[in-house]
Amino acid sequence: MQSFAIFWHKQAVILERALNHLVINSRVNIDALNGKTIGLSLQDLPLDVHFICANNRIFVLSATDKSTDVDIKLKSMIFISLLQGEDLTELLRQDKINIHGDAKTAQLLVDLLKEVDIDLEEMASKHTGDIIANQLGKLTRKFNHIGTQSNNPFKIIKDGLSTLLINPIKSKRYKHKNS
Amino acid sequence: MKNTTHFGFKQVATNDKQSLVRDVFNSVASKYNLMNDVLSFGAHRLWKHYTIASSNVKISDKVLDIAGGTGDLAIEFRKKVGDSGQVILSDINAAMLNEGRKNLTNKGIFGVEFVQLNAQQLPFDSNTFDCVSIAFGLRNVTDKDQALKEIYRILKPGSCLLILEFSTTDSVLLKKFYDFYSFNIMPKLGGIIADNEASYQYLAESIRKHPNQETLKNMVLDAGFDFCEYHNLSGGIVALHKGIKV
Repeated sequence: MQSFAIFWHKQAVILERALNHLVINSRVNIDALNGKTIGLSLQDLPLDVHFICANNRIFVLSATDKSTDVDIKLKSMIFISLLQGEDLTELLRQDKINIHGDAKTAQLLVDLLKEVDIDLEEMASKHTGDIIANQLGKLTRKFNHIGTQSNNPFKIIKDGLSTLLINPIKSKRYKHKNS
Repeated sequence: MKNTTHFGFKQVATNDKQSLVRDVFNSVASKYNLMNDVLSFGAHRLWKHYTIASSNVKISDKVLDIAGGTGDLAIEFRKKVGDSGQVILSDINAAMLNEGRKNLTNKGIFGVEFVQLNAQQLPFDSNTFDCVSIAFGLRNVTDKDQALKEIYRILKPGSCLLILEFSTTDSVLLKKFYDFYSFNIMPKLGGIIADNEASYQYLAESIRKHPNQETLKNMVLDAGFDFCEYHNLSGGIVALHKGIKV
C-alpha cells in the first residue's frame, strides 16, 4: 500500500510539472480556472489528488480535506473499468461514482489534461535519476497491465479523467442532482 | 519557564537564542558547504534539487529564499525566473550572507539580491512573492509560528512556501543508525574539518527539537495556508513541506 502511495505521489509531482510546462509555454490559458480546486479520490486506495489553480499555475496535491469545486469519488476497480472504456452514465446509474460540483470547471480541467502529453519514464529520469525512473516505469507498467495493454499509462489516466469529467455534463442523472 | 526556549537540548532565554544561533553560524560559515557535503554524503544536493523541482517557479516570478546561506537554492531559482524575475537571497547572519555572495560570484551568477533579515519580521509588502523557500533554517528560528505568519503575509494568492528541513524517521533501524551518527560521528567530523565540535553537537540537538512532519504541517496550516503536504526524503530524515496560499 505504501509503495502505491509513493507511486501516486511521484505521478502527482510529474503531472504538476507537465501541466505547468503547458502554462509556461503559453499552450493553454487557465485564467478561467483561477481559484478553482478539483478533487479526484479513489476510495479503496491512497489516491486523493487535488488540482488547485491559482496565480496562473496549477498545484497537484494529495491528501487534503478541503472542499473542492468539483469532487469525484470512486473505487479503484471502477476507475480502471472507466479507463477500459466502461460507460460513465451506466456507472453513475448504478451509483458506483460520486460526483459533486461545478461541471464547467471540470470541463476546463479536462481541456487542459487533454493537452498533456508526457513520457513518464523520460520525464521522471530528468529529476529522479535513471534508476528510480526505471523502477517507476516498472511500477507503472505493472499497474497499467491490470487494465490495458497500452505503453503510455499517463494517456490512459488522462483519457480516463477526461471521460470521467466530460460525461457528467451529458448525464441526466448528474443534471438532476445539480438542478 | 516562561520566556525561555530551546537551543539544542539546552533551555535558554528567548531573547538569547538569536545571538546563540548567530554565533554558531558565524563559526561554521566558511566551511558550511564542505561540511554539508561531508555530513550528508552529498545528499543535501539531491534534497535541494527535489525542492526546486517541486517549487512551481517560472519565468518572471519573485522568489525569496530565507536562511539561504551559501545560496544553493537561490542559484537555481535565478535560472528559473530569468532576467525578468527577482530572487532575493536572505539570511539573518551576515557571515552566511557573505559566503552566499562569494559563492554566487564564483559561479558567475548575477542578478540575485542579498538582504539580511529576521524571518519573524519580513521587510516586504503583503502579497509580493510567488514562492518563499527556507531550507534547513526554520529550526533555528526562535518564533516559528510568527515566521510562518510573516511568510504567509508576503506570499501572493496562488503561491507556495517550501520548507526543507530535518525531520523524523519512522524506521527503527534507520533511527538507531541516525542517532549514533548524529551524536557520535557528526560532532567529531565538525571538530576535525571545521575545528568546531560544539556547533555540530548543536546541529544534532536542534534537529531533535524540531517539530515532526505532522506538527509542522499543522503549524503551516495554522499560519493561514490553505493547503499543506509534506514529502519524506531519505526515509524521513529530511522532509519537504509545501504550503499553498490560495
